[in-house]
Amino acid sequence: MDVTVDVVGEDTHELTVDAETTYADLVRETGWSPQEVTVLVDGTPVPEDQRVTVDHVTILRLIKGGSQRA
Amino acid sequence: MFSLSADQRRWLFERAEHGAPREVCGVLGGYWSGNDATVTTLISVSNTAAEPRIRYELEPQAQLRAIESIEEQRELIGFYHSHPCGPAEPSETDKRLATWPDVVYVIVSLEPTQTVTAWDWDGHEFSKRNVSII
Repeated sequence: MDVTVDVVGEDTHELTVDAETTYADLVRETGWSPQEVTVLVDGTPVPEDQRVTVDHVTILRLIKGGSQRA
Repeated sequence: MFSLSADQRRWLFERAEHGAPREVCGVLGGYWSGNDATVTTLISVSNTAAEPRIRYELEPQAQLRAIESIEEQRELIGFYHSHPCGPAEPSETDKRLATWPDVVYVIVSLEPTQTVTAWDWDGHEFSKRNVSII
């Protein structure tokens, strides 16, 4: 299945996935780590260990940090 | 240069004071002129970090809505967050977790004095921008 992956503020990727591909796999294909981003389908976050079942996905880089180490 | 109005700076301090001791955060929009950024829009976004007194994380859906709202008429400038107890510079945690090059990271510090600083992230290090109050 072909999937369009929009990385907000970056490029759009056209990827081909199989039935076992997860959203975390898609994230890694775009060069990001699943810990650095959230994956949204139609504006709603999806579990990254879930298999890809749609043809359009949005990847949003998380904005986080803090004044001190936890 | 990073430019914002006195009212916008006051808004940031008020948000930071109201949220203290928790860190507050949000999205900044405006326009770029070459490498100079001017703020026209500030959108507060919920901090969903597990330890909001020392960490911040923009709530993803609200972050996306804010960016999309800004980009309807303006450009994404960057993101702000507060350091209620200072410092007015990126922490090691900020450096470790930064993910967006080519935007401005703004820090609103309340201690020891109220200060707004602006920083560029190149993927490895933060570098300071001059802040102009317009």
